[in-house]
Amino acid sequence: MAKDMTLLWGPGSPPCWRVMIALEEKGLQGYNSKQLSFEKGEHKGKDVLAINPRGQLPAFKHGNITLNESYGACIYLEEQFKGQGNKLTPENKAELALMYQRMFEGQSLFYDRFVPEGERHDSAKQRFAGQLKDEIKLWEGYMQATGPYLAGKSFSLADVIVFPVIAFLFRFGLNEEHFPKLAAYHNTVKDRPSVKNTWPPNWKDTPGMDALKNL
Amino acid sequence: MAQDMTLLWGSGSPPCWRVMIALEEKKLQGYNSVLLSFDKMEHKSQQVLDINPRGQVPSFKHGDIIVNESYAACFYLESRFKSQGTKLIPDGPEEQALMYQRMFEGLSLYDKLGAVIFYDYYVPEGERLESALKRNKETLVTELKLWEGYLEKLGSGSYLAGKAFTMTDVVVFPTVATAFRFGLSAERYPKLGAYHALMKERPSIKASWPPHWLENPKGQDTLKDI
Repeated sequence: MAKDMTLLWGPGSPPCWRVMIALEEKGLQGYNSKQLSFEKGEHKGKDVLAINPRGQLPAFKHGNITLNESYGACIYLEEQFKGQGNKLTPENKAELALMYQRMFEGQSLFYDRFVPEGERHDSAKQRFAGQLKDEIKLWEGYMQATGPYLAGKSFSLADVIVFPVIAFLFRFGLNEEHFPKLAAYHNTVKDRPSVKNTWPPNWKDTPGMDALKNL
Repeated sequence: MAQDMTLLWGSGSPPCWRVMIALEEKKLQGYNSVLLSFDKMEHKSQQVLDINPRGQVPSFKHGDIIVNESYAACFYLESRFKSQGTKLIPDGPEEQALMYQRMFEGLSLYDKLGAVIFYDYYVPEGERLESALKRNKETLVTELKLWEGYLEKLGSGSYLAGKAFTMTDVVVFPTVATAFRFGLSAERYPKLGAYHALMKERPSIKASWPPHWLENPKGQDTLKDI
């Protein structure tokens, strides 16, 4: 099964990381894993375009099937491999609803605005920073209300989708003292085998950035 | 079941419309439907904040359960009511994969559409730039052509992810309808035009058509030249 799967990915990209965590959780190690470099523009290379005309990563194939949207790939893997690996969708209806709610709120947290140089305004930067801070505070509140995982007692698709973004924020200097519940969540999930095994290779030996330390 | 459900929504909002279509398709008519006015800022009222601290619609409650993200609500409803109404998620791996792929690409379409038709809403006056709006229009055209291509490949009379109506149509049709409301030309985008014409007649969509679009059949012409 895993041998019929191919994943093209770039290190540090939360959408790529989501799919890698899902593959590990469902016991699908052994897939063809192709690491590409964003800096070298490899995500726009022929290999990727052959699978994903948008020239974006992740690009995922399973036999004839192509799934280049990280949420889509994660949900597909959970649906198609229900009987193996870890169950990523809770049985309990209230937890399931919370899982879906947090999964999709995760899009608000994954904040990727690329604005060309000539169009950057200080007022925009300030506004985005303000919005990001408010958003992260909301998630800190969520982790105060429930735990240890995003949808409650069990690790679920919500964690698969959102943890990489939380990790990304801490990598960029988010202050553990300002957001202790998120820090605790980050530290708990960091040690999960599926997460350890897929930790971005370029993060292992280099220090992070401190862009977010004052947030 | 439906009587234990409440939906707070605004007319013309694609995310709200998605949930309404899903409720219709799953035969959950009879839910408490609360129409709010964006103009009067009712989406920021206490009624909404009690369900959704983000002050956004749709806000959806089912008993004690709250699901305010439109895609999340659609998944929740399909999961909870699998055995009634229309089957929205196909079983076959290939059909399912295409459905998921297009559903999530639908978010790209929605963002790129919004970046043009709601440019002035999203960008404060002092930050607006001709070059930015121009780029947003070009990006939208590229995206729309992609979807034309998808429909072309599937053949006439098809839905967005294949021969059957699926959740992809539930979540993406409102975006397509909005594009046409804002003047998109069916001559320039004939496949999307045909899809729009097909879907307009579907009962769940007729039942949930934005009321203010019925009152004012003529929309805007922002997109007529793209």
